[in-house]
Amino acid sequence: MAIITLNKTPTRPAPLSETSMLGWMRRSLFSSWFNGALTIFTLYIVYITLQGVYVWGFADATLVADNRRACYDYSLTGACWAGVIDWMDNIFYGRYPREEIWRIDLGGLLLILWMAPLWMRKVKGKIWIGVTVVTFYPFLAGYLFAGGDKGLFMQLMVAAALVALPANVINMLIGLFKEQSLGQVLQSLVAKFSEDEKVQRNLMLALVALSLVIAFVFQSQWQEVAVSWTKWGGLFLTLAIAGIGIACSLPGGIILALGRRSKLPIIRILSTGFIEIFRSVPLITVLFMATTMFPLFMPEGFVLNKLTQVIIAVCLFNACYMAETVRGGLQAIPKGQYEGAHTIGLGYWGTMGFVIMPQALKYMIPNIVGSFIGLLKDTTLVSIIGLFDILGMLRSISRDVPWLGLHKEPLIFGAIVFFIICFSMSKYSRHLEAKLETGNKK
Amino acid sequence: MVMGVTMAENAKTDINNRARPVEKFNFFQDQRVRSIFYQLITLSIVGWLGWYLFTNTSENLAARGMSTGFSFLGSVAGFDTDFKLVEYTPGIGTYGDIFIIGALNTLFISFLAIIVSTFFGFILGVMRLSNNWLVSKVTLAYIEIFRNIPLLIQIVFWYIGVFSLLPVVRKTIDISFGSEMLLLNNRGLYMATPVYGELFWVTAIAAVVAVVAVFIMRRKAHKTQDESGEQTPILLRSLLILIALPGIAFVLTGAPLSWDMPVLEGFNFVGGTTLPPSFLALLLALSIYHSAQMAESVRAGILSVSRGQHDAAMAIGLKPGRVMALVIIPQAMPAIVPPMISQWMNTVKNSSLAIAIGYADIVSLFMQTGLNQAGHAVEMVGMTMAFYMFISLSISWLLNIYNKRVQLVER
Repeated sequence: MAIITLNKTPTRPAPLSETSMLGWMRRSLFSSWFNGALTIFTLYIVYITLQGVYVWGFADATLVADNRRACYDYSLTGACWAGVIDWMDNIFYGRYPREEIWRIDLGGLLLILWMAPLWMRKVKGKIWIGVTVVTFYPFLAGYLFAGGDKGLFMQLMVAAALVALPANVINMLIGLFKEQSLGQVLQSLVAKFSEDEKVQRNLMLALVALSLVIAFVFQSQWQEVAVSWTKWGGLFLTLAIAGIGIACSLPGGIILALGRRSKLPIIRILSTGFIEIFRSVPLITVLFMATTMFPLFMPEGFVLNKLTQVIIAVCLFNACYMAETVRGGLQAIPKGQYEGAHTIGLGYWGTMGFVIMPQALKYMIPNIVGSFIGLLKDTTLVSIIGLFDILGMLRSISRDVPWLGLHKEPLIFGAIVFFIICFSMSKYSRHLEAKLETGNKK
Repeated sequence: MVMGVTMAENAKTDINNRARPVEKFNFFQDQRVRSIFYQLITLSIVGWLGWYLFTNTSENLAARGMSTGFSFLGSVAGFDTDFKLVEYTPGIGTYGDIFIIGALNTLFISFLAIIVSTFFGFILGVMRLSNNWLVSKVTLAYIEIFRNIPLLIQIVFWYIGVFSLLPVVRKTIDISFGSEMLLLNNRGLYMATPVYGELFWVTAIAAVVAVVAVFIMRRKAHKTQDESGEQTPILLRSLLILIALPGIAFVLTGAPLSWDMPVLEGFNFVGGTTLPPSFLALLLALSIYHSAQMAESVRAGILSVSRGQHDAAMAIGLKPGRVMALVIIPQAMPAIVPPMISQWMNTVKNSSLAIAIGYADIVSLFMQTGLNQAGHAVEMVGMTMAFYMFISLSISWLLNIYNKRVQLVER
């Protein structure tokens, strides 16, 4: 006996218990009596917490007041945000002269302008964007922030940055409209003048030299008022130290990681020792070393200011962590890549520079973002040795006469600022990780 | 194994020698010459740098009339500390004692913080993977919030924002439900300490015997289960032994235990043990921060066990809790332990942030206060760093032992 149906049974929709809100709740919140109790208990805790936060932070909070007493007059149970709002400029810019704050903002905007093309799919020549931002931007920003007289080296670097910045913008525009890089466009322009490759190259060099000279002349007219490093502070200082730290730890970390994987025993032992020493001690001891021992290391009469000492310490410390990140990235590269590079006749530096590093760096980006987050959080330690970074500024609010004893609100505000920065960056790095993962599997 | 490698290398160089065409010997094209050359250059740069720093330092020290050497460790330190685990009197104790006090304080608080945060890390990691949506999301919120706020801000917050704002001594809170054994105020936590009587050792021995007995019983029960499949319920029996044996011994010897209670005398409490607010704040902050970090490694470790293990364990009828405890966690351990141990190391290192709130750890007591008083910057910073390096080496030694054991089991 057989039953043959010619008509296919129509598929039934999923049962209501699977698709409805109630079904979802039953499955994921009340699957057993224990789970149900847990849900209710958790709900209760969440309610208590959120209600407490709401009453303290919003409902009973004071936003505008002249001093802490006025806050208390308004409400005893609420937060006194007025103190934080009153100090807002200090929290973000430290004691930087108020009429010069535009320089910090401009520096930040320039960085965004410089880095933004890295995220645009159509823009070409991204390696050059990355290289110029690491090598030239710090000097431009450094002069913008510090001002004063420029030394010859500084003049050259600022001039180079002033060439690289417009070139980068033009490159971005060309990329967006023609999907070409600035280099390609220039080459085709030059090719119209002459067929000879040598002439072409000379023309290009002349073009670069000409723009450098123009930039040099321009920058020698450009003078900003000097702002002493003692006036730097707030979130600006935190970001500056962390930014410089990551910018110099990247090359340092690459060198150390290569040294640690080197076949030459002395180089390997030295790099490994250096990395492990700095990785096994807390940052605060390195900072203390910088402030107490560096002055002894230097020859007579050569004085480094505290900020420089701190930056050197942060760079040394972070380079060792970066070295381990880089090493992890290098280990992920299959051996065939090395062998392939050797086969086509590349030497050690050729193999590393053209084949291994570009691949490894790409996979390291999420980890680099991760270590930047770590560094940013660690930078708060500089407040211990007397720099007024964001934490130092937040803590000095409670010493300001109108806001005497206002401790909690500034710290919570700082925590929120850090949470926003660090959380969004870590989300982004996880997103990148997922993106690169699939890219690898294809 | 080592022999095999060298043989393979020999074979390789043999082939290389044979295959290499005859060419003019160029000194700098030879790989060995070049490698020695590079290493010599590196060594001389590093050596020169070291020598340069050393001569500068000794010149500077001489110019400032500062002595060097470790003899200062024997000289008398004139300052006191509010938290110490060994006897010390200012004016009699030496800088060597200060170093030991600081080191012990660092180890003490890191040890406690590691235990607390590992325990909660495991719980949070498992909660994060709970199939209860709300529990999982609340845990996620906890982890993300505390991971993304700098530890230093958290420490300072707990110290100034919470423990310093506790009621004053006269309005002390009793957190032991009226027995006055645990008292909390803005000067710290006051605890009653047990005072052991004469015959207390009998109870102690009874407790040890009970633990050994339970251990033997467990092994026996496991053995029977392995051989015959029969399960012997031992939980109730072992609990009974653990409580009854020491309990009977304690009562029979006439309850030889009394408490040294903290008592209000004048403006402060006397007696018992005191934990300063800085200690409490640091312990709390370290535990919260690192439990959030460890929860992430526990979660990653559990997720590294393939889904099939979970399904198979469910298929043979284990309950969800037993699946976790008997099947998933044991297999996840090799993936959990290495990051966990590096988190322990981070806990030890982060305990140095005590300096921000004045808990007397090695950094704030020896490297800051001590350095300000004695001024032997190079020696003191060096000793502190050496201490941390020693801890780090010991911990990575532990990790190596564990890794070796895990590898053996795998084979």
